[in-house]
Amino acid sequence: MVSDDVLRTHLQELRRGTVVVASLAALRRPDYGYALLQRLAEHGFAVDANTLYPLLRRLEEQRLLTSEWNTEESRPRKYYRTSDSGESVLHRLLDDLAAVQTSMTGLIEGVDR
Amino acid sequence: MTSLTDRYLAATLRTVPAPRREEIAAELRASIEDMIDGRTSGGQDTAVAEREVLTELGNPAQLAARYADRRLQLIGPTYYLAWERLLKLLLSFVPATVGILVGLLAATDGENVGGAVGEGIGTAFQVAVQIAFWATLVFAVLERTNAKLDLPEWSVDQLPEDQTGRQITLTDAAAAIGWLVLVIAYLPMQHVRSFVTTTADGDNLPILDPALRSSWLPFLIAVLIATVGLEIAKYRAGRWTWPLVAVNAALDLAFAVPVVWLLLTDRLLNPEFVARFEWLGRGDNLDTVTTVAVAGTILVVLWDVVDSVVKAYRNLH
Repeated sequence: MVSDDVLRTHLQELRRGTVVVASLAALRRPDYGYALLQRLAEHGFAVDANTLYPLLRRLEEQRLLTSEWNTEESRPRKYYRTSDSGESVLHRLLDDLAAVQTSMTGLIEGVDR
Repeated sequence: MTSLTDRYLAATLRTVPAPRREEIAAELRASIEDMIDGRTSGGQDTAVAEREVLTELGNPAQLAARYADRRLQLIGPTYYLAWERLLKLLLSFVPATVGILVGLLAATDGENVGGAVGEGIGTAFQVAVQIAFWATLVFAVLERTNAKLDLPEWSVDQLPEDQTGRQITLTDAAAAIGWLVLVIAYLPMQHVRSFVTTTADGDNLPILDPALRSSWLPFLIAVLIATVGLEIAKYRAGRWTWPLVAVNAALDLAFAVPVVWLLLTDRLLNPEFVARFEWLGRGDNLDTVTTVAVAGTILVVLWDVVDSVVKAYRNLH
């Protein structure tokens, strides 16, 4: 039986890159940090808050997200939205994710490509 | 706002670059409050919820490092191998070299043997610590400044040579030659500085009989220099061959026969040196020491010759 630590490390490795893809996809509809965290959790992406908040800032610095402060609600919140360049990066990432899935299926079924 | 969240924000923002601090503070505060609200709307106590949220966010220093994209390591994988290699290279010879030089200088300055050795070892240790500190500091700074070190890419040409087919490794050859060089240097040097002094006035006391200086001593030194040549030839051949065995035996005998003969005729050691150690003069002690030295020399020569013959023989079969 493989230890829980080993399993956890591999799952983390597998999940790491998908947080960026999921965030870029989810933020086609603008949202603020905590709401995005909850939306991701609802769809099965269990992301830590201390990972997501800094990640959003980094994606913004890379100009994949744009942001805007909304002061109309109970407290001022920073809303993020996927930018045009974020959209094109998302397309590439989704294509690649699909390619990985295809390759994996092919490999498992033993089909030569 | 409760003080726990304020303290958490202050702790996080302390190490975040100043231009972004305000905005990160505002956003993080809103996120923390949202998270607390999320918990209290489920009926949880505010104070408990706040503690849980801050615990979930974790160590502020770590969160700040994520915001600032700062590395939580002294030397990362980019530089680690270069750092390790440089450190090993420098530590392999610099402390020992400096230590020996300082020890020799201290000895020629008239310190006693113990003091000189102590000073050499102390200096070597200090040099080692300094090398480790500065090399690590330089690489830690490189890691943090993201400096591009144009280190040469690894290539297959750097693969170490195959040592498995070798009987004589580089380490063996280097150790043997290093030892020979030390002895070759000490033989003429001991006339001026043998590290043994007279008890009366602290003058230098040569270990070997000064009469040998113009007779056997140059011959023995020549034999040792030839032995260095043999070690080099042996390393280049990589294995024992019959000519090497023959030359090795000849050189062994050329060194051992005069030494044994001089020992047996009491002409090897300086009589004053023998007199300096009262114990040697007592009873048969000098004879015993001579016998042990002769037997030791013969054994070493025999062992060396037999060893070389066995290894050369093994190469043929």
